[in-house]
Amino acid sequence: MTARPDCSKCEELLQPFLDRSLTADERATVQHHLENCSACDRCYKLEEVLWKHVRNCCDQQAGLEFASSELKQKLSDLRTPLV
Amino acid sequence: MLVSDLVTEAPSDDVREVVGEARDRTRFEEEALELSDQVYRVARRIAGSREDAEDLVQETYVRAFRNWRSYEPRTNLRAWLLRILTNLNIDRGRRSQRAPDTQSLEESDYFLYGKLDDQSESDVEKLVGRLSQDSIVDALAAVPHDFRDVVVLVDLSDFSYADAARILDIPIGTVMSRLHRGRRVLKQQLASTEVVA
Repeated sequence: MTARPDCSKCEELLQPFLDRSLTADERATVQHHLENCSACDRCYKLEEVLWKHVRNCCDQQAGLEFASSELKQKLSDLRTPLV
Repeated sequence: MLVSDLVTEAPSDDVREVVGEARDRTRFEEEALELSDQVYRVARRIAGSREDAEDLVQETYVRAFRNWRSYEPRTNLRAWLLRILTNLNIDRGRRSQRAPDTQSLEESDYFLYGKLDDQSESDVEKLVGRLSQDSIVDALAAVPHDFRDVVVLVDLSDFSYADAARILDIPIGTVMSRLHRGRRVLKQQLASTEVVA
């Protein structure tokens, strides 16, 4: 996967790229490399899609559980009575 | 003095204060309840089971409603609630896990993709979609607590590093290192699932 020397640099910058914490120069380096290296470009895309998928799966499971539980009512019952 | 005089009399400062406080408290409770599904989502990922998550959320709201005066209005209420929740979770005596320094961790961020990649499938969405909800949820549950908490707050709940640092009471640098390590552990877990292996 890291056949070219600049691929390892690109891989190193993957996490900070996703976190948007790269400098403008680093970002340009990554973008230039991605335009010319389909292997890295695919890995970056996979990483983005993966995290979206992880999030969707977790949200979906917890959302259904919450909706089918009586938790919201139980929490409302914890409120301070007005009188 | 007639009763009508009493009714029309301007409320005393004490009464006004009590009414004002009741109104503030009511507003606080309503706003906190609005966030309960989001609080549950985080609880579900950091507690071991659905039951534990529900208990944790209830304890969080008991404490939040009791200490509502210490919440500063117009600050991030979701972060305030989650700070209570993560503290409670630690108080509940969750087993402290050492960061797996010794656990062998793939050095490559591309590791999962090397295993997942299938030249016959060009659509990355379909490729990633092969990972089922169960495998994702299980893989995340297998990530050590300290790393998982950060991944849940930053990657799944959109908190900034600074907010995550405040919620967990750790330095920002620690948030970043745990986040990167947590992401890698999760990918390693996924790489060992049936669909990929």
